[in-house]
Amino acid sequence: MLLPFLMAEGSAARAAAEPLWRSIEQPSGLNVLVVVVGLALIAWELWWFLGRHGSGTAAKLGEQGIQEITITVDGGYIPARIKAIAGRPLRLSFHRIDPSGCVAQVIFPDFHKSLDLPLNATTSLELPATPPGIYPFHCGMNMVRGVMEVN
Amino acid sequence: MDRELAQELTLLRRKLTVAAVLTGLVVLASLPHMLGLHSLAFLPGWFTSPWTQLLLSTPVLFWCGREFFTGAASAFRQHSADMNTLVAAGTGIAWLASLVATFAPQLLRAEGLPADVYYETAAVIITLIVLGRLLEARARGQTSEAIRRLLQLQPPTARVLRNGVPQEIPVALVVVGDQVQMRPGEKLPVDGVVVEGSSWVEESMLTGEPTPVEKGPGDSVIGASMNRSGSFSFRVSHVGSDTVLAQIVELVRQAQSSRTRVQKLADQVVGWFVPVVIAIAITAFVVWFLVSGNPVLAMLFLVSVLVIACPCALGLATPTSIMVASGKGAESGLIFRSAEALETAGGLRTIVLDKTGTLTLGHPEVTDFERLPAGKLPVQTLLAAVAALEERSEHPLAEAIVGYIRPQLQDPQLPAVEGFEAVAGLGVQGNVAGRKVLVGTPRWMSELGIDITGLTPLVARMEAAACSVAAVVVDNRIEACFGIADPLKPSAAAAVVALRRLGLQVVLLSGDARRTAEVVAGQVGIERVIAEVRPADKAAVIRRLQEQGDGPVAMVGDGINDAPALAAADVGIAMGTGTDVAIAASDITLISGNLAGVPAAIELSRHTMANIRQNLFFAFAYNVAGIPIAAGLLFPFTGWLLSPMIAGGAMAFSSVSVVTNALRLRRFRPTPLSVAAS
Repeated sequence: MLLPFLMAEGSAARAAAEPLWRSIEQPSGLNVLVVVVGLALIAWELWWFLGRHGSGTAAKLGEQGIQEITITVDGGYIPARIKAIAGRPLRLSFHRIDPSGCVAQVIFPDFHKSLDLPLNATTSLELPATPPGIYPFHCGMNMVRGVMEVN
Repeated sequence: MDRELAQELTLLRRKLTVAAVLTGLVVLASLPHMLGLHSLAFLPGWFTSPWTQLLLSTPVLFWCGREFFTGAASAFRQHSADMNTLVAAGTGIAWLASLVATFAPQLLRAEGLPADVYYETAAVIITLIVLGRLLEARARGQTSEAIRRLLQLQPPTARVLRNGVPQEIPVALVVVGDQVQMRPGEKLPVDGVVVEGSSWVEESMLTGEPTPVEKGPGDSVIGASMNRSGSFSFRVSHVGSDTVLAQIVELVRQAQSSRTRVQKLADQVVGWFVPVVIAIAITAFVVWFLVSGNPVLAMLFLVSVLVIACPCALGLATPTSIMVASGKGAESGLIFRSAEALETAGGLRTIVLDKTGTLTLGHPEVTDFERLPAGKLPVQTLLAAVAALEERSEHPLAEAIVGYIRPQLQDPQLPAVEGFEAVAGLGVQGNVAGRKVLVGTPRWMSELGIDITGLTPLVARMEAAACSVAAVVVDNRIEACFGIADPLKPSAAAAVVALRRLGLQVVLLSGDARRTAEVVAGQVGIERVIAEVRPADKAAVIRRLQEQGDGPVAMVGDGINDAPALAAADVGIAMGTGTDVAIAASDITLISGNLAGVPAAIELSRHTMANIRQNLFFAFAYNVAGIPIAAGLLFPFTGWLLSPMIAGGAMAFSSVSVVTNALRLRRFRPTPLSVAAS
């Protein structure tokens, strides 16, 4: 029954009377299985989302020593981790195919630069030669993120 | 971008309409189940069947809520998780569990559980979050309104003289050197210098100054200001990205693209927020399964935790406030170069004001000229020699001396100068007609070992009248001295009072003689004076104040000589009427050059930081309180539980409320100086 749920309050007495609140005796084997699977899922999702995966995509060295990389904007930045060489300018080309207004702008806070990304178009931003470091970038509302690793 | 936002809003409205209608029907269909009845007389059996609910809810999830699922999928591939992940996982799990109850109800019944479906839960969550997105997108449009309004200030066309004939051409085709004609009531298309005619021009949209300014030949005019009464024409000096308007827009954009220190902290939290919430949700499932053995109940707790957590509110807390505040500042002629400037300005403890051009108008005039008894040179020869030297200097005092001497010269031809040298903050020297001539401060003269005893009473008199003194020495003999006064800006005294009311220590920093600086300080109500400071030492003074525990320190200045001090200060505030070098070295620019902007900037900063703190507190408190309740932590003690639908609604509205709170900053008005002073 969802109504007590909807009221955001339930009482133990009512709970006992309704099938949703019914306690069911589960075999201990199943309980152990649920715990093991639950812990494994937690470990896996933490590893998947917070662990280090690959070293990112390196920008290619183009004409006149400018490093270049194209990033597709579709729900996120693909690739979201970019590797670049320190001391050389970098041209980032954003190709946006995601219609959500959230990603209509990309911001590089460390460079005080922002770029408007029209839909279904490629827009470029040139960053000056940069010292080594980790430079995050994100969408206009700070929800979609990427990182630039300069070595 | 505007068109895109409009398209986004149209699509969101359409999706919301469809979602609302279908979800309404699903909720109606699930009514008997919600009320714990087998059926309701006015609802036919086929309508309340799980199959109908499946049919009605599927488009809500996968058309109206498509972006949540595609967004979550691409984020997942990138090893990242965001709000989409939570919404997609929460609603997806509720929908999949219902699918089991629809297709294989016997599985649940065998366990003694009812084969209930939760399509309405998934549909209601999606509908509420689409509504949240719509409200958020609308509010987001308003946060960048300031830049849009600034850009709209420029008129689309200009009336340019081509081959002597006036032609109306698009602004983009106007080039430097063109002559533009202006009629009353028109907006100036670009920047330039008046060549003919005169008028009163209102620059309030750029400077925040309400009073129109008189403009005549030789005066600079800026694009986007409004020509009030007269007709005039001006020669174009800057177009495109070089105009003052374009530079203001660029500076505001830069500020909006930077981060505050608090935001960096919030960013770190957001980075691990979603994975941790997923872990909490799974834990809630496991614990409730162990406690009750009831997989359906455990699943509902899992869904509630997933859909109540809102990383968006955390992510939005600072950027929206910064965006609104920097736009608001630009409207009042206060240009913040970075979010950090906006953040630091609110916590300032000491404010150091430069004298010339900051407290004073910066247009000094010679009010006194005295020959000394020891002087031997004929007046005309002396004045010509001084003018020849000073004409090579760019110092405002030098300009004042030349302006005073020029009309008195019988021969406009100035003698040649050899070996000219300007000693920063002290004076100038050179050889004129075979004589060694020095013009500068009495302190400099005595440092050079020149006897200035005859000058002392004159200096005392002039300094008591707040005049700067320039002594003239020819061949090591004191010849004359000039008293130069620079009138105070009308707003100076009131601005100092306002700054003190804001709890700041106000310091006057000047290269002038101590007496002169103290007199000026007394006129505006400043108690602490640091005088006789050479330009090169101004930065050191700022650093000393910072080390002495008077920091954070702001420096307000306008000249090239202030640039190092502006850069050394925690916050450098430049007068927009000052030099480009000073503006480039500053963190905040007051376009109008009105000192009232300084307390206004500090007030805006304090309001903004308070707003950010409210947003962050709300976002953190919301998540910290909401997640445990959704996980059922309070149930054993209070019997409180949270429906996944209410959780979804709370998530949708937490980010809306953050943006709405940030938008309150649009109503910010600095305290008028008259009120602050009273």
